[in-house]
Amino acid sequence: MIVAVLILILSTALFFFYFQVTCQKILGRQFDREYFQSIANANRLEFPSLRKSLEDFGAPVDYSRLRMMLRCDFLALTYLLKNAANVNQRYTYDERLLILYFRWQFLSLAVRRLLKLGENTAILRLTAVLQYFANVVGQRVNAVKFGNLTAADYLLNL
Amino acid sequence: MDSIILGQVLQYAGIAIEACLIVCVAQSARRGRLAPVGLYLACQLGASLGRAFALQIYGFKSPQYSYVYWTTDFLLVIAAFALVCFFFRRAFRNEEKMWRFARLLLSFVLVLVVGISGASFLRNFVLLDTRYIVEFSQNLYFTCLVLNTLLYILLVQMESTDEQLGLLVCGVGIQFAGPAATMALFHLTTGERFAAALNSVALPVCTLGMLVVWAYAIVRVRDKDKNKGLQVPRPEKAVLAEVTAD
Repeated sequence: MIVAVLILILSTALFFFYFQVTCQKILGRQFDREYFQSIANANRLEFPSLRKSLEDFGAPVDYSRLRMMLRCDFLALTYLLKNAANVNQRYTYDERLLILYFRWQFLSLAVRRLLKLGENTAILRLTAVLQYFANVVGQRVNAVKFGNLTAADYLLNL
Repeated sequence: MDSIILGQVLQYAGIAIEACLIVCVAQSARRGRLAPVGLYLACQLGASLGRAFALQIYGFKSPQYSYVYWTTDFLLVIAAFALVCFFFRRAFRNEEKMWRFARLLLSFVLVLVVGISGASFLRNFVLLDTRYIVEFSQNLYFTCLVLNTLLYILLVQMESTDEQLGLLVCGVGIQFAGPAATMALFHLTTGERFAAALNSVALPVCTLGMLVVWAYAIVRVRDKDKNKGLQVPRPEKAVLAEVTAD
């Protein structure tokens, strides 16, 4: 009985640990250059400024606005991931995994807020996922040549 | 019933990905290093096809399907243990001393698990049914999970640069942790309906999770290799080599 309870607790903890580590490993991928800034500028995404304010001052903006910003950026980037310079018009497996990770972290943000555990770690993780998505979109757009269009022009015409 | 159908759908999706991954491993330039992964995938594929066949012929509630299911489960756990041993070997390929220690540890753990499970089998031999096989599988799954976690910690300690191995280990971790937890829950609730439903879905979900992570690990390394091959040789490197040789 005690052994089974121990196995249950440890296995559940390890499952979430491995899930987190796998996502962190995927997020650790090195891109040949930083594409995310141009994508964020072209689509007026707010996560780079949010991340910067958090890293520089350590204090995020008000919570409801923060949630809205993250959600809007997430929706915009997942749309672009699926439709911008993507021939198959579908997510890859690792993108699906990261979408799941984002949703989990979003839930964890709400829980941390409720328990007053400090939200900064969760916010930084969420912005890391968004940055990865923006980098992937930027890399794809950069790989496809559309006449004289720049990445920003292409995205504005989408 | 819905969880059983969902479990079956996930299982068929897993079969398709397993077949694709086996082809991927066979075509990979590093197929020698990935051979045990390919073998494990082949075992998974064989077990999945065997289960699907038994389900089709005998039906879900038949004892034959139950025997096929738990026998393949037992064989898969043995294959998983062999896979973890291979990961240890790959991690310590340049450190013979560490590998000797790991080999000793792995042998000791295997003997220990066989001993404990054997004693349990002998005690309950008359009442041998799936409950005891569930316990046996749970022990082995959990042992593999612990060994896998130990390996992950060692890889972090060693600051290993083998990115693919790290992802393969994480994939195995997901595959072992989920079923170990649901099996423990199943055992604790003595086969309560929710736990049984969760158990039937958790295994294919975790297998699918592992396959996704492995696919990423294998394809990413293949793409990296391709990109390396496409790199234009830089003339300044050759000049630098000549200068340093002089």
